Amino acid sequence: MRKNSLVFLAGIVIVLALGFLMPWLLRNPFYFFAGYVVLQYVTIATGWNILGGYAGYINFGAAGFFGAGVYLSAFLFTSFGLPLPLCILAAAIVGAILGVLMGYLTLRIQGVYFAIATLGLVVVLETIVHNISGLGGASGMAVYGPRPPAWSPGPSQYNFTVMVVIAVVSVALARWVEISWIGRGLRAVRASEDAAECSGVPTLRLKLVACALSGAVLAAAGAPYPFYTSFVEPVTAFSLIIGLNAIAMPLIGGTRTWVGPVIGALLLASVQQIATVTISSELNILFVGAVLIAFVAFAPGGISDLFGRKKGRARL
Amino acid sequence: MKTRRQFHKLMAVTAAGLAAPAILGSKVFAQDKPIRVGASVSLTGPLASTKNGQIGYELWRDDVNAAGGLLGRKVELVIYDDQSSAANVPAIYSKLVDVDACDVLFSPYGANLSAPVMPFIKQRDLFMIGMFGLAGNDVAKHDKFFHSGPWGPNSGRDWARGFFDLAKAQGVKKIAIINADLEFSKNAAKGGADVAKEYGMEVVFNQSYPPNTSDFSSMIRNINAGDPEAIFIASYPADSTAIIRGVKEIGISDKVKLFGGAMIGPQYGALLGSLGPELNGLVNSHTFVPEPTMQTPAIKSFFDRYTPIAVKQGVDPLGFYIPPFYYVAGQLAAAAITGSKSVDPAKMAAFLHANAVDTIVGKIAFTEIGDWKERRVLMVQLRGIKGNDLEQFRNPGHQVILDPPSLKTGELAAPYNKARAS
Repeated sequence: MRKNSLVFLAGIVIVLALGFLMPWLLRNPFYFFAGYVVLQYVTIATGWNILGGYAGYINFGAAGFFGAGVYLSAFLFTSFGLPLPLCILAAAIVGAILGVLMGYLTLRIQGVYFAIATLGLVVVLETIVHNISGLGGASGMAVYGPRPPAWSPGPSQYNFTVMVVIAVVSVALARWVEISWIGRGLRAVRASEDAAECSGVPTLRLKLVACALSGAVLAAAGAPYPFYTSFVEPVTAFSLIIGLNAIAMPLIGGTRTWVGPVIGALLLASVQQIATVTISSELNILFVGAVLIAFVAFAPGGISDLFGRKKGRARL
Repeated sequence: MKTRRQFHKLMAVTAAGLAAPAILGSKVFAQDKPIRVGASVSLTGPLASTKNGQIGYELWRDDVNAAGGLLGRKVELVIYDDQSSAANVPAIYSKLVDVDACDVLFSPYGANLSAPVMPFIKQRDLFMIGMFGLAGNDVAKHDKFFHSGPWGPNSGRDWARGFFDLAKAQGVKKIAIINADLEFSKNAAKGGADVAKEYGMEVVFNQSYPPNTSDFSSMIRNINAGDPEAIFIASYPADSTAIIRGVKEIGISDKVKLFGGAMIGPQYGALLGSLGPELNGLVNSHTFVPEPTMQTPAIKSFFDRYTPIAVKQGVDPLGFYIPPFYYVAGQLAAAAITGSKSVDPAKMAAFLHANAVDTIVGKIAFTEIGDWKERRVLMVQLRGIKGNDLEQFRNPGHQVILDPPSLKTGELAAPYNKARAS
């Protein structure tokens, strides 16, 4: 195993240990409510980046996958009493299938046309949920989660720990994709799809794999959400804010490596959480917007790219 | 400063002085700390039109503090913007409780934003006043939750019953129902269909439409084909405008006696001003109108102070629908605190369950799940509107109360076409 991988593995172990220990060390539940949202966005940004960053296919449909995970999890729990880990697994599988279906239908188009097609997915799924009374329709659906297990002091802490695990697995998956043959192929697709195709890179197959992995991560990010809010309704579950954040966070952090979305999500989601309970007015939207513009203007390749360039790393 | 030692002494004294309030205040002077009231308000996002409710909170706080506070303690509001998103609500209320140490909570606006906070307050056994969440406590059944809105018991089904009572009194046998495919309007339509069935009315047309619908011409033609005698509409502001304009363009059968019911929009200044005379004849739900049976010195004083603030802030200058009930929320909290002489949730809740409270909108008594014992949703008919001047709506006679009977200020003008032409 290479040195970088060992450092990464050690980092994962430390983060997981903190995820399980923090609920016992930090007594105030607020930090776990806020931390959950930040970690949720780390997962969403990481999931989006597998297709949007590595392959360069800008996907506006992140909220569609997220919402599908939210509703599948809520449905499986309320109808069959499935435990949360199985709900997450089921959401990831359905997200992957949805990703392949979306990819198969839309990957033949590129650029802005692909982006519009993925946006359509959100509208279609939201409309479907609106019209299924078994999912609460427009009125929404109350989800009273189970008691947390004994190893967690409360529901908010349990949700936080679960989200730490999902985020860590997602980041590990994204890193594996990045350094594996899939990542190399996707980078070739992003650089020039025609050239990659001519060089024997199986572009469609790789893009479908990216769609499936991206969809699985995005849907898994949504699976614990019903237990976090105890209530799901289509407008929030399929909110375009999720889709916009999914794009903005990797752009701020950098789309070329797994680190970029993590940095971007930690930064932007934390700023959003802090702004909500400090500035807390119309100004917080303006403030977040200003941060976004500043990063796009002064660090167009993202923060990780800024440091990468300083180190003289090659840019593909 | 002569020596370093003197400087250190000065620093130590300064630090002790700064730390003293924090050290002593928590125990010895706890009674002097303000009573903190926490809430989230939708200052941004799709529900930002409800942010004028915050003026109600602030007027209540100012009044209470001017009168010496509650239990000798000042009242302090802690308000955060939920951005109209249910996703922000859990963290905000945890902040209000776990960091800001609020003694009393007001819920976010409406059922969808309030729902995420219900398990939280039930689990932590907290005291909360609900803000306009229809049937907001029907699932959680938390015994320390009280509605400030006048929906009444069984509100999920019955809140718009007044419209059907009027239809029944007019001998209506056939009714049409249309609704936006969104939470509030969908509930209203479902409840309406149930009540219509209970009253033996035939629902000749029942259709929901996507929220972004802007052309209702085909739907109005289909309604006319069904030949109904009343049309119950559950819509949101943009569709309310489109429906009213569609009816003006296409026309409606002379047999229709009642038109309206649960249209969101004609309660607000923006729509009253833009539609003006086109609203004549509409029978619609409301929570407060300046009719003689509802006017009291207290509510008049409230609006005398509300209007200049609203104009300055650029929000609804009339503010009939929401702001008085935000003030009422404060009055309910104040009554619970002073009545129980405590900020203990159990004692405050016990007081409100046992006692009716006088507020600027009248006396309120609660059921065991915090609904008003008596439904007091108004059905008003808009009449005599000339031009688009908003000031006319401050005068009686333009929003005549038809239901409930205890507040009635006039008889239904029917059929709708005749009332519309007047």
